[in-house]
Amino acid sequence: MASSFGETDQVLVEEKSSTRIFTLNRPKQLNAASFTMVSRLLELFLACEEDPSVKLIILKGKGRAFCAGGDVAAVVRDITQGHWKLGANFFRREFILNYVMATFSKPQVSILNGIVMGGGAGVSIHGRFRVATENSLFAMPETALGLFPDVGASYFLSRLPGFFGEYVGLIGARLDGAEMLACGLATHFVLSEKLSLLEDALCKADSSDPAVISATISEFSLAPSLKEKSACHRLNIINKCFSRRTIEEIILALEREAADKEDEWISSTIQSLKKASPTSLKISLRSIREGRLQGVGKCLVREYRMVCNVMQGETSKDFFEGCRAILVDKDKNPKWEPSKLEQVTEDMVDRYFSKINDKDWEDLNLPRRLNIPPHAIAKL
Amino acid sequence: MEKVNFRTQVLTGHLQNHRHATTAATIYPSPCVSYVPPEISEQPFSFDVSTMRKLMDGHNLGDRDWLFNLMVQSKLFNPRLRGGKVFVVPDYNHSMEQQREITMKRIEYLLDHGAFEGWLTGKGPEAEMKKFALLEVIEIFDHSLAIKIGVHFFLWGGAIQFFGTKRHHDKWLRATENYLIKGCFAMTELGHGSNVRGIETTATYEANTGEFVINTPCESAQKYWIGGAANHATHTVVFSQLNVDGNNQGVHAFITQIRDENGNICPNIRIADCGHKIGLNGVDNGRIWFDNVRIPRENLLNSVADVSTDGKYLSAIKDPDQRFAAFLAPLTSGRVTIAVSAVYSAKISLAIAIRYSLTRRAFSITANGPELLLLDYPSHQRRLLPLLAKTYAMSFASNYLKLLYIKRSPQLIKTIHVVSSAFKATLTWHNMRTLQECREACGGQGLKTENRIGQMKGEYDVQSTFEGDNNVLMQQVSKALLAEYVAAKKRNKPFKELGLEHMNRSCPVIPAQLASSTLRSTQFQNDIFCLRERDLLNRFAAEVSQYQAHGESKESAFVVSYQVAEDLGKAFSDQAILQSAIEAENNVKDASLKNILALLRSMYVLVTLEEDAAFLRYGYLSTDNAAAVRKEVAKLCSEIRPQALALVSSFGIPDAFLSPIAFDWVAANSWSTVQN
Repeated sequence: MASSFGETDQVLVEEKSSTRIFTLNRPKQLNAASFTMVSRLLELFLACEEDPSVKLIILKGKGRAFCAGGDVAAVVRDITQGHWKLGANFFRREFILNYVMATFSKPQVSILNGIVMGGGAGVSIHGRFRVATENSLFAMPETALGLFPDVGASYFLSRLPGFFGEYVGLIGARLDGAEMLACGLATHFVLSEKLSLLEDALCKADSSDPAVISATISEFSLAPSLKEKSACHRLNIINKCFSRRTIEEIILALEREAADKEDEWISSTIQSLKKASPTSLKISLRSIREGRLQGVGKCLVREYRMVCNVMQGETSKDFFEGCRAILVDKDKNPKWEPSKLEQVTEDMVDRYFSKINDKDWEDLNLPRRLNIPPHAIAKL
Repeated sequence: MEKVNFRTQVLTGHLQNHRHATTAATIYPSPCVSYVPPEISEQPFSFDVSTMRKLMDGHNLGDRDWLFNLMVQSKLFNPRLRGGKVFVVPDYNHSMEQQREITMKRIEYLLDHGAFEGWLTGKGPEAEMKKFALLEVIEIFDHSLAIKIGVHFFLWGGAIQFFGTKRHHDKWLRATENYLIKGCFAMTELGHGSNVRGIETTATYEANTGEFVINTPCESAQKYWIGGAANHATHTVVFSQLNVDGNNQGVHAFITQIRDENGNICPNIRIADCGHKIGLNGVDNGRIWFDNVRIPRENLLNSVADVSTDGKYLSAIKDPDQRFAAFLAPLTSGRVTIAVSAVYSAKISLAIAIRYSLTRRAFSITANGPELLLLDYPSHQRRLLPLLAKTYAMSFASNYLKLLYIKRSPQLIKTIHVVSSAFKATLTWHNMRTLQECREACGGQGLKTENRIGQMKGEYDVQSTFEGDNNVLMQQVSKALLAEYVAAKKRNKPFKELGLEHMNRSCPVIPAQLASSTLRSTQFQNDIFCLRERDLLNRFAAEVSQYQAHGESKESAFVVSYQVAEDLGKAFSDQAILQSAIEAENNVKDASLKNILALLRSMYVLVTLEEDAAFLRYGYLSTDNAAAVRKEVAKLCSEIRPQALALVSSFGIPDAFLSPIAFDWVAANSWSTVQN
């Protein structure tokens, strides 16, 4: 953990008048969110909230990624060398950061100029403004990893139009900047060459007023066109199939569509579902469905329960298998257990949503956030 | 003087804030009254609300959430952003025609997404429970939508299922489930409602053509309040007096087409609109006249009785009373769903009113002190918390009723009839009372239709009338109890039905002094409810037999004994509700849940003791004891108060189905929302 550089170097801090610019600084790891990075961000955000001279926060990443996700490999290493509770520490801190951002009293502008995955979405989508570029690449790839879309994704995915959130969360679909804007994950689209000008303009604006900030970003933004094969053109079929009650019914509905006509997009969608962890798919769907009816705080509390159950591995060890196959051995051939959807019973799914049976374990304890401004509660 | 200064400060605050507003787009609520979410201001929950929700909703939680999701994600359900949150609630400012049209569109949307799959073709208790669960979710959104669906599936579909035989099932059930046809249920007439046996529509069999001729002989025989008839229904089950060979065989049910596939009214059918109503305007209630409409012999729903081609009346049930009872049995499902939906309606209004009372302040009781939260006033607690406790008890009662209905058998028909009648009346009356109290508890905000409660009074009022007038149903309960009493006494056998087993034991004795611990004990609570039921049943039997001894008929003896009959009906109902609450409590293992359920159960009993004059009238409680009960109710209020938020959060009603005043009502009403 200790390095010759200070731990704080994982997040670079610039002060420009009333604006604070935080840069995620682990470019070699695609800015994967480590425990250190998450802790530092939390500290910085809480300090900015206290500091009346700060009006705006800009969050960006160094290199070709904004943030490629939580440092899952490190978490798995901690768990295998020690205990799953070491992993719980990471997620607890990360989720609290997500909650603080979702309820933050000052605007956050995230510059998503590159990869935004998993934990990277968690530190940006909950903020007020999300600026996509031609380099943006968004995905919640957890179901392929034996996990589920966490970091409050059950809140923000479920608030995408129709049942697009189910599609994105279950498939791990990759979205570009134009698609992010179209579905509401991004609030603006700005070409990367304009980003430094945008940054200057935001600093100069010297305002906490969302309307002023929005207008400032709009000056640099443009309306990109969706690529021809974009899933955003498939909303009808997505709504029809991904609104179904269960994973099995979703697959059945997709197969019925495929039977009607040969369609590459449908067959690759079915393939993604069949490759993902059956347990992950089922708990992810239920999490999104519950999340659609809950506030962001409740979503994070539930996801924390879920992630602890995943790490404890009593029902399924798919998370470890997924990390082995994708991140460690990289054979991309995970052996899921249970291997079939029908083997994952309601009871098994239920277990992921219940408290951990351990006297030292506690539910996620969200910090009390006084006077949550209305615009901070639901941004999508 | 201090008070004046305080007012000045507040006013200055208002003015300064207003000045800022001209430069900034957003008003930040301080220093005026600001909204603090109750989740922040209240203590952490003492029990797990998701476990409690599981206990209350009871079954099919995933299916419920799925359907909530379907509604929230569709523009058809009128989503509106208020105070940073999306709410779905119908636009009641729509005209009657618009409400009917959008209700039908919502049904089509639900149909397209498979919400009704298996509602008529599915078999077994699981399919039935799922159907109940989904209907409950629909009711939480809008009563019109639920009733329109309920008429089609439970009344029309139920009539085919229960009155019909294989030929009807094969022909109609799948077509109904897919809405290839739209059904309605023509029972009530202008001249006859609760008294179904008195209806005047006739069906005469003609042996030479093999047809029935359905006719409306006079104006009072026009079918009335027929849900779906005014605009959409293509078919109806029409209840008529069957005439075969000059003999009246009593009320029977027939399938008749009333519109063609293009929606044109069929020949010899006349239909008129019932017009605008005090609520439920999304349902197209209509009136139907039949002018010698001819239908084939096969359209008689013949599970109970049939007519042969040559015009012979055939029935396995010879006794016309029993035959009629067999006919009406399917109506029980209607009473079950009404009782259950009344509880959900009460839950919605309580969740809104209690959440509001945890964020809205009024008057300070100390100089310069902050104003008090509404729910910190003991008087406000007394208004809402007993209703909350009753709603919990009745929620368990409605779960019990559902299960009773699901496992129905010929032996259970009587119990189901009596319990569903008692619960339908009691729970719907409770709902109306709760709605009124909650409306008032929300003050002016309760008057806005977007806040649901006020509007729901109109939407749910009909529940005390349809599927059996509440008063009539309660009289039937007392009559059934008396019949049980007479049968047991005559044969000198112990009571073994309708929960009257306690009559076999010795009469409970109520202690002269009621300590707090006694008042909260299940033993005492059981005793006093049993004592009341037992004594009232004895009194009712004595009164009726006294009238009969003086030469009155049994019927007129019932009519004049209405006062005791009414008290007895209530006693039965309260007792049955208490039993289901106790059972639910006993089945819970978790100590934190058990504790709160015990508090609620005690509140339910004690507030019933306080409110029902029968306990003092007949001397089950001394005046001293009545005073002790009253004191205990106040104490229970203060003990339940800290759990109020957790208790309404356990109702499982998603935020989107509550209303803006349940959340940030300052933001929902801010100037910036006016500008957008």
